Amino acid sequence: MAASVVSNAGVKSGGTVLKGKPPSRLAFERFMRNPLAVAGSIILLAIIFITVGAPLFTHYSPSVIDIMNTNAPPSAAHPLGTDPSGYDNLARLLYGGRVDLTVAFSAGVMTLVIGTIYGGISGYFGGWIDNLMMRFVDVMLNFPFVVFILFLEAVFNTSGELLLITVVVLTSWPASGRFMRGVFIQLRQQDFVIGATTIGAGTWRTIFRHMLPNTVGTLSVLVSFAVAGYVGLEAALTFIGLGLPLSVASWGGMLSEASNYTAMTTQPYLWLPPAIMIVLTILSVNFIGDGLRDAFDPQMRS
Amino acid sequence: MTSYVIRRLLGLIPTLFIITVIVFSLMHLMPGNAFQALIGLNPHIKDAAKVIAQRTANAGLNLSWPKQYVNWIVNLLHGNLGTSFEFQEPVTTLIGIALPNTVTLALTAELIILMIGIPVGVFQANRVNKGFDISTSLVAVFLYSVPGFVFALFLIFLFSFTLNWLPSMGTVTAAVPWSGNLGDRIQHLILPATTLALPSVAYYTRLMRANTLQVFFQDYVRTARAKGLHSTRVLFRHVLRNAIIPITTQFGFDIGGLVGGAVILEQIFTWPGMGELTINANLNRDYPVILATTLIFAVMVLLGNLFADILLASMDPRVRYN
Repeated sequence: MAASVVSNAGVKSGGTVLKGKPPSRLAFERFMRNPLAVAGSIILLAIIFITVGAPLFTHYSPSVIDIMNTNAPPSAAHPLGTDPSGYDNLARLLYGGRVDLTVAFSAGVMTLVIGTIYGGISGYFGGWIDNLMMRFVDVMLNFPFVVFILFLEAVFNTSGELLLITVVVLTSWPASGRFMRGVFIQLRQQDFVIGATTIGAGTWRTIFRHMLPNTVGTLSVLVSFAVAGYVGLEAALTFIGLGLPLSVASWGGMLSEASNYTAMTTQPYLWLPPAIMIVLTILSVNFIGDGLRDAFDPQMRS
Repeated sequence: MTSYVIRRLLGLIPTLFIITVIVFSLMHLMPGNAFQALIGLNPHIKDAAKVIAQRTANAGLNLSWPKQYVNWIVNLLHGNLGTSFEFQEPVTTLIGIALPNTVTLALTAELIILMIGIPVGVFQANRVNKGFDISTSLVAVFLYSVPGFVFALFLIFLFSFTLNWLPSMGTVTAAVPWSGNLGDRIQHLILPATTLALPSVAYYTRLMRANTLQVFFQDYVRTARAKGLHSTRVLFRHVLRNAIIPITTQFGFDIGGLVGGAVILEQIFTWPGMGELTINANLNRDYPVILATTLIFAVMVLLGNLFADILLASMDPRVRYN
């Protein structure tokens, strides 16, 4: 009995007994104490708010052109001007954010789910299962995504958000699978896992109760980096013409249209806003990821 | 060790086989072929359908897929990668031009990454949460957060368009006496290599800092300190040796990754490398070039992974060759 009291409640030097808090609560408190992580969360929430609530901030549609008013510099009617086709830049910026965030978040979460299951099985069981699964990862890691994207676009005769998410997930999961395998192999050799196996914990109990909770920190960091990376990847693919079609408003597409000498030197309102939004989004997601890592793994903090 | 390397090299063959089979099937499943685009849209060619049929037959595209694939393999084993449909030149010639450009770019970037990433990461961890650590960590997060192509745009805007210091296109300046000499080439290399390196510099710095910090908390480091070793000796003999292991693994993975990552940057900087060749070939259904570039990308990544595993096993005795 005494042992359980000691493990569940810390005794302060003053003698007052502290009630034990669950680890997730402690992690949340540590997260909230990290100013950069909180700032990142606020910025990300703000970006999500202005993109989801885009109609609140502009009454223009991102897909209707104002043919009499192309290439207009910023004015009261068009706060960020219009582009060469006559689209309102603010509307495209806000509605474009929806597309970018949807693609990045869905692809990021799906990649990690697949990667964890795959890598966990491979890393935990080892042996020939691991060997076979990693050979397949080798194949998929080397799979040229340019070929894959163009193939899917040619076959389905479309290019849109769903296709882009599919392509990103299908080409990105092997990297996270390989990473999670490494994490699981490392964990398998840790004393507490060997201990759990020794006292008779079954395979699934070992994996879900002892190993998986210890990957939460790594996973949250990976998700944040994945989401951050996919915001960039989506924009980059669209930028070179392999991602979303230019008819869909997206930050990468806006940059792509403005990336010529004349536009870059004389019309900064065309390319600076989407560039800033991309950087801000990725930066805030990365700050959140850092905050999560520090919160889940206090040992990392000195 | 030697037998391990040989076994791993032989193990690459099935992987390469599967990749080329998949790519081969995918590219044949894509609608259209190279000649329809090249000839069908050319108004100067009379009787385009006949010419297309003839060229298709000449290229061996009327054979069954398995036969075409076997032909490709046989030619490959003879060192013949075929002739590009689009350029009417041997694929080996095209690759001979593109591959050195891409490798130069990737190696320069890799050099920048290691030279900056490792020392900065170690110094950060050594003086953790001091001024240097916090400021460079912020810079690293920022660098890591800016996607390569946005960086490229900013750098081009700043150094090429505004300051007019560095060229933003190609590998050499055309039509000047100094075209193609070393200085000219280096000038053209600076912007793309920096753009390719910067996000990875930040990543390596973070990785190195995290690894070093993790090792700092190990018992053997405390023991080393407790027995009175000088802190620099602890850092270099005990901490660095262990903290650098994940970096070497990452380095191996990145050899292939950087070459692949250059695809997008090559488009922006119109760098005549493998990325441009690949995208072009895919858009034009230039089958021999698609297969050859796929093969080369795959071989580079696989050799990089093998290199990483060998390095890991030779640096960390707990990891055994198996």
